[in-house]
Parts: sequence; C-alpha cells; structure tokens
Amino acid sequence: MDLGISALSYVNSIKNDEFTVEEFISKSLERINQVDEKLHAFLRVNDLVIKNAREIDTKIKSNQNVGKCYGMPISVKDNICIEGSKTTCASKVLENFVAPYTSTVISKLNSEDAIIIGKTNLDEFAMGLSTEFSAYGPSRNPWNTDYVPGGSSGGSGVSVSANECIASLGSDTGGSIRNPASFCSVVGLKPTYGLVSRYGLVSYANSIEQIGPLTKTVEDSAFLLNIISGIDSNDNTTVDNKNQDYLNNIDAGISGKKIGIVTEMTNSEGLSTDVLNATNDAVKTFEKLGANCEQVSLQMIPYTVAAYYTITSTEAGSNLARYDNIRYGYEFDSSGFEFNSYISQARSKLGPEVIRRMILGGFVPSAGHAGKYFLKALKVKSKLIAEINHVFEKFDFLISSTVPIQPFKFGEKIQDPVSLMMVDFNTVTANLTGIPAISVPYKITNGLPIGIQIMANCLEEHSLLQAAYALEKTVDLPKVPV
Amino acid sequence: MKNLVNEEEISEVAKLMKIDLADHNDHIKRVQKMLEYFDILDNAGVESEEITVQETDLDKLRDDKYNPYDKNLLKFLKSYQGKYVKAPKLN
Amino acid sequence: MTKIGLEIHCQLTKLESKLFCSCKADYREFEPNTNICPVCMGIPGSLPLLNKSAVEKATLIAMALDCKTPGKIAFFRKNYFYPDLPKNFQITQLNAYGNTSIGWEGRILVEDKQIKIRRIQLEEDPGRLIYEGATEKTKLTLVDYNRAGTPLVEIVTDPDFETPHQVREFLNILSDLLENLNVSDPGLEGAMRADANVSIEGGSKVEIKNIGSFHDLEKAVHFEITRQHSLAERKIEIIQETRHWDDGRKITVSARTKEEEAEYRYHLEADIPWVRINDNTKNQLRAQMPESISSKKERYISKYDITPQVAGILASDRYFSELFEKANNETNAKDVANMITTDIMGLLDTREKREISKLEAGHLSDLAECVKSNKITRASAKLALDEIIKNGKPLSQIIEVLDLGHVSDESTLSDIISQVLNEEVKAAEDAKQNPETVNFLVGKVMQKTHGKADPELTLTLLKKNLDIE
Repeated sequence: MDLGISALSYVNSIKNDEFTVEEFISKSLERINQVDEKLHAFLRVNDLVIKNAREIDTKIKSNQNVGKCYGMPISVKDNICIEGSKTTCASKVLENFVAPYTSTVISKLNSEDAIIIGKTNLDEFAMGLSTEFSAYGPSRNPWNTDYVPGGSSGGSGVSVSANECIASLGSDTGGSIRNPASFCSVVGLKPTYGLVSRYGLVSYANSIEQIGPLTKTVEDSAFLLNIISGIDSNDNTTVDNKNQDYLNNIDAGISGKKIGIVTEMTNSEGLSTDVLNATNDAVKTFEKLGANCEQVSLQMIPYTVAAYYTITSTEAGSNLARYDNIRYGYEFDSSGFEFNSYISQARSKLGPEVIRRMILGGFVPSAGHAGKYFLKALKVKSKLIAEINHVFEKFDFLISSTVPIQPFKFGEKIQDPVSLMMVDFNTVTANLTGIPAISVPYKITNGLPIGIQIMANCLEEHSLLQAAYALEKTVDLPKVPV
Repeated sequence: MKNLVNEEEISEVAKLMKIDLADHNDHIKRVQKMLEYFDILDNAGVESEEITVQETDLDKLRDDKYNPYDKNLLKFLKSYQGKYVKAPKLN
Repeated sequence: MTKIGLEIHCQLTKLESKLFCSCKADYREFEPNTNICPVCMGIPGSLPLLNKSAVEKATLIAMALDCKTPGKIAFFRKNYFYPDLPKNFQITQLNAYGNTSIGWEGRILVEDKQIKIRRIQLEEDPGRLIYEGATEKTKLTLVDYNRAGTPLVEIVTDPDFETPHQVREFLNILSDLLENLNVSDPGLEGAMRADANVSIEGGSKVEIKNIGSFHDLEKAVHFEITRQHSLAERKIEIIQETRHWDDGRKITVSARTKEEEAEYRYHLEADIPWVRINDNTKNQLRAQMPESISSKKERYISKYDITPQVAGILASDRYFSELFEKANNETNAKDVANMITTDIMGLLDTREKREISKLEAGHLSDLAECVKSNKITRASAKLALDEIIKNGKPLSQIIEVLDLGHVSDESTLSDIISQVLNEEVKAAEDAKQNPETVNFLVGKVMQKTHGKADPELTLTLLKKNLDIE
C-alpha cells in the first residue's frame, strides 16, 4: 500500500478492493506518528478516524451509496471551522475555541465521505509565509527539515508532501496555498474569488482570500475543486460556477494557447538564479507543448506588495478585533479588570507578526493617513484589475515562478520585514485581482523544490487546470526523502 | 533619508487597536520600516482611479424569514450563570 | 438663532429576522442570549447575510421622506471596541465613494417648517448591557446579545429645528409615518431612540446622547438651550462637545471626550457586495407603499363628512384609521369617526389594550346604527363599548344583558323624574330660578337610568314638570 498515491488512484484502489479504507487510514496514522514529531504538520489528529473508516467500509461492502471520496484522508488548515473541534488558527488567543458549526467546504467533503484526519499548522491567523509565526511551533519542510515549508498553509503543504494524507484544504490570501505548494513540491490551487465558500474560514482579509486544495496531482486538484466549489447561501460573495466538471477534458493540452510571461515577476531583483533558470526552462516546456509564449508587462506589479499589505492589514485589523477573549478564546478571568486593560492584556497573547499587522491595520486606514495608504492601495488594486482584464484579452494564461526564491532556512527571513514581504511578490497579484492561480511542482534544485505558477482569468479554472496538467505531465520529480 | 513615521503616533495607534506595546518596542521599528516601504504607493500614479467592487442584485439577497438557530450557542461560549456573557468593568 | 438637529434610530420591528442573520428581529420575548447564532455573535468564520426586506423597508422610509435613493447601496464597517459589539465593529452605511446609503437629501414638513433629512442609513443594533451588583466593587457588566444585529434605520436631519416643540412634533409625525408604512411599531420599548445636537446663535454645536425617550428628548433639548444661553450671557465659551442626558437630575452632563477622539477606520464591508436597486424595483416599492397620512386625511375630508381635525386624528393612527374604514358605510361615517375619537381612543390608549381588545369593525358599525336610530343613547353606547372590548359579544346580546335599551317611555321616565325632583329639592328650586342649571337634573336622571334615558325627552319632561322654558 503506497501512501504516495493520488486521490484518484486511491479511489480506484478502494473500488478494486486492493485495500480497505480502514487499512489505508491506519497506515496513514502510523505514518503521522512516524514523521510528524519532526515535521509538525499537524496541530491535532482526529481520534475518530478509524471509526469513520469502518463505517465507510461497511457502506462499501453493503453496496450502499458511497461518496466520491471513499474515505480518503484529508487534512484541514486550522483556520477552517469544524463543529465540536478546536479551531485555534495557530494562535494562543484561540487556544480553547471550539467551533460551534461546520464550514461549508467541510460539510461538502463530509457528504462525499472524505475523512478529515486532522487540523494542520499555519502561520498565526494565516499571516506569514513560512509557518514560523505559528504560536505552536513551526512546521518543517520534508525535503530538508532545516528549511521552512512555506506558509501560511505550511502544515497543509507538509502533510500532503510527506504522505501523511492524500490532500489538504488550505487558504490563500497572498500566496498561502501556492507558496507552501511550491516549497513542498505539491500542487496548490487558489480558486477565483467567490468560487469556494468562505463560510467557516476564519477571516484574515475577507475581500481577497479563498479556500483551496493542496494535492499530489493536478487531477486531484480538479477532483477536490468539483466537490468544494459552488454558490453558497451562507456566503453572499460566492459566485455561480454553473456546475462545471473540472476533470472533464483535463488532458486537452495547450496547443495554440497564448501564454504571457510576466516580466515584472521574472526579472525582479529578488529572483534567485535557480528560480530564474527553472522559469526559463518552463517557458521552453510550454513552447514544446505547443503554446506561444511572450513577455508581458503589468505596470502595477511593483506596487502590489505594498498595496497587498496595506489592504490586508486594514482588513485584518478589523477582522481580528473580535478577539477580546470575552465571548470565547482562552482561560483568563476578567473579574476585577477594567475593560480596556483587560482586552489589551488578553490580546497580548497575539504573536509578534499579528501584532505588527494590527498596528499597521490601525494606522493605514485612519482618517489622517487613509488617503496616502489605504485608499491608494485600493486604487492600485483597481488599476491592476483593469490591466489584468486587458492582458487576458490577448493571453490565455500568465506564468511566473510561484515564489521568487527557493525555501529558505528557519530564521533567515524573519528579521527583515521588507525582505519577508517580498517573498509574496509573485503571488499577491492573483489575490488582488481575484483571478485563479495554481502552483505546479516543476524542479528540485539542490534538494529543494521550485514550483511554476500559472494564472488564468476569473472563473477559467477549467482551462487553467488543463494547462497545469499539461505542464505536470512533462515533469518527473524524485520522491520526497522523508 | 525620508522621515520615518513618528514613534509616538504608532504607540497611539497600538492603544487604539488594544495592543499593549509595553514589552514589544522592537515592533515599532519594524512597523516603521514597513510603512516606509509603503511609500512606494505614492509613485503608482493612481489618484484618478475609481475603486472596483463586487456587486449583486436585490433579488439575490436572503429572504426575511425567522429561522431559530438550532443549538444552544451559549454553551459553546464563555457564560455567566449560563445566561449572560460577562464583560470587564466599563468606566 | 437656535439650531437643533436630530439623529434618530428606528428599529424595523416589522421584519421577521435580523439584518444579517435569521434570528428574530423582535428580541423582546427571549431569555438572555437565546436569540443568537454564529453570525450575529460574530463567531470566527461567520459571514453576514443581508436581509432583502430590510433593504426594501428602508427604501420605503427613504421614499416617504422624499429622499434621493441610490442605484447601488454599500455597507461599511465602523470599528471600535465595546462589549455590546460581538465583532467590535458595527456594519453600517456611509456616503464615501459616492452616495451609497439608503437615502439622502430628503425633507418633511413640520408645522409649516421644511426640515431637511440629511441622510438615512441601514445598520445593525448592538447587544444590551445589564449591570448587576450594588457596590462599585461587586458591579458586574453583563451582556445580552439578543438584540445584536436587529435592523436599524438611522435618520439624520439637518439642524433645521428651532424649538423643542418642533422637535416633539417631528417625532410624532415620524412615529405615525413609520407605523403607517408598516415598517416599525414605534410603541415597542426601545424601538425608537434619538440623539440631538444643539447650538445657539454663533455658538458651538453640542451633541446630546443617552436620551431614553422622546419625552426626555424635548426636555433635554430645552435644558441644553437654556444652559447654552446662560453661558452666553455670562460671556463663557460654549465648548463643542458631547454631553449625556442625566435622567435622574434632568440635566445634561459633559461626557468623556473619548467620543471626539474616536477613530473608526471606516472601510467597505467586503462580505456584502454592493446591492443594485434598479428603477423597476423602486417603482414597484413605490406602488406598494401604503397611502400617506396626509393623502389619507385629504381623502377622509373629501369623501366623508368629517371635520379636518377628526380626519387628521384618524389618518395619523394606523389602527384607528383601519377600524374607521372597515366600520363605516359612508352614511354613518361621521358617527363612527366621532365614536372613535371621543370614546374608543380613550379606552384603547395603549398597545397592550389594543392587543387584547375584542372590539371589531362590525361592533362599531352596529353601535353607530343603534345610536343613530335611537335604540340606545350615546352614554349607553360607551358602556356597551366597554363590554365589547372586554368580551367581544355581539351588540344585541350586550344591549339585552346590560339592559341598555333606551328609556323613552314617557310614563316610566316621568316616574323617574318625579323621584329625582323629590331627592334634589334644592336643585329643582335652582332650576326654576335659573333654567340653565336644569342640566344637572338631566344628569341625575341619566344616572338613575344608567344612561339609558333619552336625553331630549328627559329635558322636555323636566322643563314641563318644573314649568320652565
């Protein structure tokens, strides 16, 4: 039984009686026990999984209707609510928070008989790109445990990459699915804004974030997208995907397609040589696949990181205001305290990066400064959207490396705030514009992964996945060393 | 070197956000650096842009129906005598 | 010149559910914290779901106040920390990025003065704070979130009012208007609250908050004007500030300046897309709007033979205007109207009384008929009303049971008159001297007959008996 198999292979194997759900789940739990002490992908493992597995096996044996997932083990980022289970967002301020309801995406997975095997680690409240900001300790890159796995959905990336589970759900606000996907050599998709319901996703920057899958293959990504996407009456920002089947024709190829190589993302100062080489290589590959590749420039890109952090810290400052420990949070009795001092003390448990974002978020939209920062950032966003729309009139896809650099060592980037922000340089554009973007594992250089990012216009996931599939098929990467 | 944002102002903002900066003075330096980076926005030339927003229609909104939440939500929360939520003293 | 402006908050109590979730809009019957859900409690990961009817009803209010209405509405977050705010921000409206609140630049006539409505916005009510414990040390702040998320319409006027009386008139007119539109029941406790801002000639504007009722509003405004004048007379500067109404001492007191320093970091509520309200929708809403009070009044005056004053009183009250319209058959309109304004309004002067009343339109039309045809007297009618309100029995039964039949039989009446004249010797003498005082004796006869005596006949017989004109 190979734990490294894809979701689709798993389903086939179960259908063909090659093993039972219980056997696979047991082996997965063993694997977690074996590797997770070092890797720390998981914050919590679900105790009831064997029971769930047995129930599904019974359903299968008695020829009842079984959901599409056939009991496959899926991990979920710990900022996505599941009723009755802790949802800490990797923060001390939510140490004891038990969600009273279940996210739409989880309900959908549950009704397709997925097994949620555990909650994965993240940068606290999804603010970060390396999982170093988790209040419960970082996760480690399975390709080299001295290196970060990326973030903020680091635990998700690790859990899939290290074969602790078949797939994972993460969230992407500025690259938080694609970045760990690239760093851990898995497939990571940020869907179009509104394609997947955010009901149950603890908000960080609600105008741009999305839940999305981290998987071993592109087909798996399409498979999960089929399940989790769609309009939701619990989320007014969801849009209709007209019941698309993202698996259908996924192997159609990209012959004749026009691909734009984003100049600003492929020639910036921050780009490492190895990553640049991989990108150029990918361009050649796309051309071999029959696509026409051409440089394209987007004027607003140099301003996107500043715009992104301005907008997200404003929204985060508001979204995290509710964590005053009065209604829920962690043990800390308010008796004898005065209101303002209690809240300040309670919030002092927020981690350093979150604290900085809170301060920024108080500053940039304030009456005296909004014009210079927040409003300008919104305008950059608008202009970028106009540029992107214009560019997609000519091109089918845009490409770049997912991250300008390869995984870095723990502690390496954490000191300089600006260089840390710049790691997001290639990914924030897709969030600011709402367009879908996917990271496909492309190379392993010096033992560390490099992913290629492909972007398409809004709601064009179907063709985006075709492009990703075509690229993936040209690549034969080594297995994870763990 | 351009003037960094005033330290005192940053402290005031922290108070507004109910963030106690007493133990965290290096945050101020980092925040200053980040704000300094944001100055780049001044060069974007976007003053005349309109902001873009998501839109919907009136008929897509939720119908006005009373649907009681089917659980005792208070059980999941911190409560006082099982009835109220206790808040710290207000001035 | 004194300038007064108002900021009124009205709950849309006629809605079924809250502004952003399906909990009940009217929270009053619930045990603490039992009318809540993940959305109105701001549980992490929850999202606001805008109530369609709230937008429609708020638009009706904007139209009724002659406001301009937008093609799209947007919502904003007003960020501040307070225990009654589950999210530590309030979702409200603002006219940034163009006009996106539910209405602006409207007007309403109050005693011949045109009051301009600056803007109307839709927003959510916070929860309620309850204080428990006697001493400073033991005092606990307890929160009940049942009210959190209740739909509010905030109406802001220009400082066009000049007197406290105008303010009071406006509030009455507004209450009637809201009730007539069937969007709110202003009589419900806490359904309408108001803040005021006051400035006198050349002085700074002072805000007054924490006013409990409309009655207090008039008092508070009056006090504040007086306070400002006395400062001005002593050449003391009137500081621009926020003051609170202290109901116990009946004065305004300076509130912490925290209010002025408030920084709300307003930004768009991204979880609610901008809602397009097209002209078609607006026309449909306008067509569905109930008849306005002023046009109802005009209609009553022209169609029925009733005075403008009575027409005005009826038209302003939704409950009674409905009763009037159902009960009258055009010929008896005047009697029905008078019966309502003279007797019934007094008997059913509160919400609670109206709720438990068993009086129906049919009773009223029967009653008007009976009085008109002299079957019973007006005085008896009042007794009958009392009974009908209590038990709703048909009029015929009540007349029988209470023996309300007209006493118009001359001999019976004569006997009673003789009795009265025997008992009231002095009054009889007075009446002989001064015929105008004979009404006292009429009254006594009415008393003896429990109001059933025909008053005209009684008067005639009395005069005959006393030999006066």
